[in-house]
Amino acid sequence: MRRGSRRYGLKPAIALLLGCWLAWGPGRVLAQSGDGAAAADSLAAAADTSTTTMSAMEKALAEATTGSADAQATTQVAADAGPFFVSLKNAPKAGAKANVRQFTYYGELVTDLKFRRNSSVKNNLGWSWEDYRKQDKTVERWDNVFSYQLGQMLPLTTKLDATWNWSEDKTTNTAGVANVSARDQKRIQFSGFKSNFATGSLVNIARFSAGVTDLRSVNLNQNNDVLEGLLDANWQSSLEITEGVAIAGRVYGQVGQGERSLSGADSPSSAQGDTVGFGVYYDRSTANGRVSIARSNFRKKYLDFKKNTNGLIDTVGIDEANKVVQELETKDALGVELVNNFRVGRLGFNTRLTRDTEDQDYAASGIGLRERYQDMMDLGLTFAVGRDSFSVNYNYVWRWDDQQFKGATSPRGRQYTKDRDYDFNYTRRFFKKTDLSLRYHQGLIQDIAQNQHNENDKDRLQTDFSAKLERNWVGKFRANMVYSFGRINDLSIRSTRSSNNNERDSYEISPGYGWDLAPWLSLDQSYRVYIQYTDYDYSDLASATRKDNYNKRGNLATRVNIRPTSRLELKVRHDYNKRFSATKLGVSSTGDPFYNRDENQTISKIDLGFRFEAVPGVTLEGATYRTRDKRVTFGQTEQENINFSGEMWVGTVVRQKWGKQNPVELYAMVRKYNAFGPSVTETSADYWEADAWLKWEF
Amino acid sequence: MNTSPARLLLSAILPTLVVLLSGCLFSPREPEPPGSGEQITYLPRSSPANVWANIETSLEAANAQGWEDNTSQVEFQYVPDDGTRSAFPGIAWDLWRRPEEVNFINNFYNSGVTITAQMRNDEFTVPENSGTEVIWEDVIYDLSVTNNADSSTTRYRASADITFRLEGNFWYIYLWRDLQGESPPEGGGQLSTMGVLRGTFGSTR
Repeated sequence: MRRGSRRYGLKPAIALLLGCWLAWGPGRVLAQSGDGAAAADSLAAAADTSTTTMSAMEKALAEATTGSADAQATTQVAADAGPFFVSLKNAPKAGAKANVRQFTYYGELVTDLKFRRNSSVKNNLGWSWEDYRKQDKTVERWDNVFSYQLGQMLPLTTKLDATWNWSEDKTTNTAGVANVSARDQKRIQFSGFKSNFATGSLVNIARFSAGVTDLRSVNLNQNNDVLEGLLDANWQSSLEITEGVAIAGRVYGQVGQGERSLSGADSPSSAQGDTVGFGVYYDRSTANGRVSIARSNFRKKYLDFKKNTNGLIDTVGIDEANKVVQELETKDALGVELVNNFRVGRLGFNTRLTRDTEDQDYAASGIGLRERYQDMMDLGLTFAVGRDSFSVNYNYVWRWDDQQFKGATSPRGRQYTKDRDYDFNYTRRFFKKTDLSLRYHQGLIQDIAQNQHNENDKDRLQTDFSAKLERNWVGKFRANMVYSFGRINDLSIRSTRSSNNNERDSYEISPGYGWDLAPWLSLDQSYRVYIQYTDYDYSDLASATRKDNYNKRGNLATRVNIRPTSRLELKVRHDYNKRFSATKLGVSSTGDPFYNRDENQTISKIDLGFRFEAVPGVTLEGATYRTRDKRVTFGQTEQENINFSGEMWVGTVVRQKWGKQNPVELYAMVRKYNAFGPSVTETSADYWEADAWLKWEF
Repeated sequence: MNTSPARLLLSAILPTLVVLLSGCLFSPREPEPPGSGEQITYLPRSSPANVWANIETSLEAANAQGWEDNTSQVEFQYVPDDGTRSAFPGIAWDLWRRPEEVNFINNFYNSGVTITAQMRNDEFTVPENSGTEVIWEDVIYDLSVTNNADSSTTRYRASADITFRLEGNFWYIYLWRDLQGESPPEGGGQLSTMGVLRGTFGSTR
């Protein structure tokens, strides 16, 4: 074992690590390229994984390089020596569900077939029928997922996947207009993967896939059919240039071709895309990180509905023949990332800098050309000494997007967003089992429209401070005290939007405790006071309609858990809320504000719940609550309004399993709900909630 | 006396931080005072009805501040109708929370649109609020979005379930569940829900 580790050193570990990263990275790029997202993001995300798992991978390699070969050989011999058919397992399942919204009946059949040399076939066939209680709506679905893994029959990992999704959604809206939304999609894909094979000093990974999609769908009497084939492949190579430093590159390409039919119009469709990425990765004694860059682009040709400059379908008042257009969409994206994590003793410093750019162009849509740009910086400092530890983080984001509408001669103007965020956390252990934590945070978000192409320039400045003191006698008593202060400044910059600019100060004080009085009895109680002042910047203007106000709410929550026997559990909870709101009338000669009380509200809610295991596998349960809500509004006449609301449910849960070789499993959860109150409707006043199924494995 | 370098460093950094914390790190810009006739009137968030009315005000003024202030500050969630899910398969709708909603509404308003909105149908009976959570079932909203660049108008009308919650001292929209597209009262085919707008102007990470 040790000899193996020494012989291979760190090189294979890094190669394996990069292999894993590269294997995952381009997969994400493929997905994102297909969806039209920036490939640069995917590179960053993938690289994150590689850095954080580096140490673990080194250990994994040390074990893999010595033990795995033997183990693999043993497995290989065993797999080759066995019968062609290893096992066949079927698991049919049927059930029904109910809740306040819908009834669902469902069934599934899972078939698992295993062959020699780790080859396997798995098929999952499912059916469901949904009937909605409040809406005139039914949905029927059929799904089948087939997967054939070729195991070790070929020198590379290969599999064949096939899926079928069929659904029919029949809905009639409140005006009596019916719609059928139907979809029938079949996909088949063959993919292969070969990892960590060497060519000279390079360690490589190769992947390919080829597939066909056949989709037939109709919604609002408009058909949308697609028959397309897609072929893609990628190659990644990595090279360790010195101990702890490696370079890696990857290239990915995809091509697709087919036919589309949209709302009666037919046309060929096509897609081409590629991604190229390069990175330098390091992991030394005090620092690790990476510098990476990725560029990707795609070009898609397809049928689409005519869209306006915002990308919304715009076919009102247009001839049928002109509602569908031949779209050509192209996209170019570039992403650059620099990450450095530096640590000396108990001091840590983390840096992440990224830049992402993207151009997306539509030939037919009114959207035209969209450009996006983003710079981001995250800085973090952590430090621990003795009983104190703290962290400081600073985040900065600068981004803009611009658009040149189809047919326009100049861009609309950039929409800038500038975010800055700072937070500081400090924790100190005062004495045994007693901790103090402090947090301070300030963030500023700014929206700025170049050339004032909209009136929504605004700033939001948010400042928070909180202090928490906790004491925990494990298994006996817990107590905590939280104090927090928050201030939000909402500022619209333009005169057309600034009338509601305000500053809101919030205070919260929350003491609480939990007491385990006995092994069968526990008590939790917490009290929270929220106070909020809202000061409108322009409340003193004659035209202003908003006045400064003051709001206060107190909430006392008490919870008691009782477990008289191992089979019975009871819960009691009481919430008592008292709040009032007041409007500022003016200030006294000494500057103290006068407030006029507008409304008092008192809410009292009591919950009771129980759970009783009647016999093994059968549990009875239930809960109820009742709320009293009293509101008094003050004005020229005082008005008092009292509302009651409540709910009760009782139910049972049955879980049984018979047999070990070919088990039969039954699960049934049934609950009956009854509710009352001002906002309870006919459907939510009386309903069943259930989930019952029977499953057999053979 | 033995003083470790770490402690020395800590004692140097902490006072610096205290100095930083004592003042404002970032400064916002100076806004323009509102002109006459340029008031956007929001109602106090003392009831779900006021919150929903504020959403309508925010739409008609294309003012993102009003939308952000009336959606839950901690746990907002949007659930689209099935048609929207099918039309925008690239969006992870199950992850649509407050940041996605804020991003959507800013992109939507900043795209240069003029909106007329009626966020509840005349037949809808507003339930009285009781307790700390209220659900409005089957409220029908209706809005027309005119694109200022090409004057094209798109109409959205749909039924939705809206859950409001009392957070701290105020009511907020906690869950917006679009049910289905509705037809215009004057007759015609089924229109889209606001999920189409979210799918067009928003994204999930």
